[in-house]
Amino acid sequence: MPTEHPTPIIAELDRDGAIEEALAAAGGTTRRGFLAAALAGAGALAGFPETADAARGPKRDTAILNYALVFEYLQAGFYTEAESIGTIRAMGAERETWARTLGAHERAHVTILKDVLGRKAVARPFFDYRGVTEDGDAFTRTAVAMEDLTVALLAGQAPRVSDRSLRAAFFSLLTVEARHAAWARRITGFRPVAAAFDEPKTLAAVDRVVRSTRFLVSRPSRESRRSPRFTG
Amino acid sequence: MAALASAPLVAGGLVVAGRPLAAAQPSPQEDERILNFALGLEHLQAAFYEDAVSRGALGGELAEFARVVGEQERRHVEVLRRRLGGAAIAEPDFDFGDTTAGEEAFREAAVTLEDNTVAAYIGQGANLTVEGVAAVAPLVSVEARHAAWIRDITAVNPAPAAADSAKSAEDVRSALERAGLPPP
Repeated sequence: MPTEHPTPIIAELDRDGAIEEALAAAGGTTRRGFLAAALAGAGALAGFPETADAARGPKRDTAILNYALVFEYLQAGFYTEAESIGTIRAMGAERETWARTLGAHERAHVTILKDVLGRKAVARPFFDYRGVTEDGDAFTRTAVAMEDLTVALLAGQAPRVSDRSLRAAFFSLLTVEARHAAWARRITGFRPVAAAFDEPKTLAAVDRVVRSTRFLVSRPSRESRRSPRFTG
Repeated sequence: MAALASAPLVAGGLVVAGRPLAAAQPSPQEDERILNFALGLEHLQAAFYEDAVSRGALGGELAEFARVVGEQERRHVEVLRRRLGGAAIAEPDFDFGDTTAGEEAFREAAVTLEDNTVAAYIGQGANLTVEGVAAVAPLVSVEARHAAWIRDITAVNPAPAAADSAKSAEDVRSALERAGLPPP
């Protein structure tokens, strides 16, 4: 049953033990930020200006959709890897259903955004989940934080999209990510809804959190290619 | 691919799943109309949970859900009312009948209420101005969290589709009516 104890709001992602441990173990840093790594090849917006000087229009819509696509790639890869190395299967029936459902949804979101962007879609970046996908508890805690972060990202970007249908479409993805977040929270014993309002985050704020995980890397690492430690 | 069948976006066409939406151009006047519709839904939700709590038929997590969500819906009412100012509709009187009298009826009505509120907001996403979208975005996701929570309590899939569908105001009203809930 959800309790009153403190909830893992996204600002606390850095303090999540699972991620910290994984990062400490991994060592090193990526030289390029999330945005730079993800979007350098796409010639998208440098630094995603969010002020009045960033002109509203199809170009900015494309950049926002591409950022959302990178984020969905990040999530889809996370669930898919945990599934393929057996972590999800070992978590028990309730969590298994939850994690499989979320993985399927995130992969569908990737497909949806790629379809919309067509040839303007960025290529799938390289990810290194730093061992987090190998441990059921670390995986689940990180999933909670990522789902909450996606909510903040989409809530922040929906009003910045010029195309009216796209704004509505952003809502229909936003609500699914919020359902994921609430479900994840309840499974981990947190209250599914922390506050009456979800605080939208700017792209820069989201980027800082994502960069702190070092999940996004500029090239496939040896670590992410080797056989997983998990053998169950 | 099943997931894509419910996709909100169709390449090229960019349509939202569900019924075709009203094509009114976004404007401050249109925002006022839509936000008042939203305010009606938030009033309905807040009153529904307050009624359920005061009738005392709920226990355990269900009671916690009604109390927590009821307080949040009341906050949504305040925010929308403040934004609408003098144009805000008055709080209607609601008769919840049996929907708040027992746990099973409450669960069913709450799932319908939350899912339809989510669909209503998505349905209006294309009709709001940018300012309107910014105003409701932080509420929309919270409604979806409520929906997932009550669905999970009820042991139905909290996130039944990869993309949530839109509903017109008219469809939302009839869904609520079918569930025995008063009109917003």
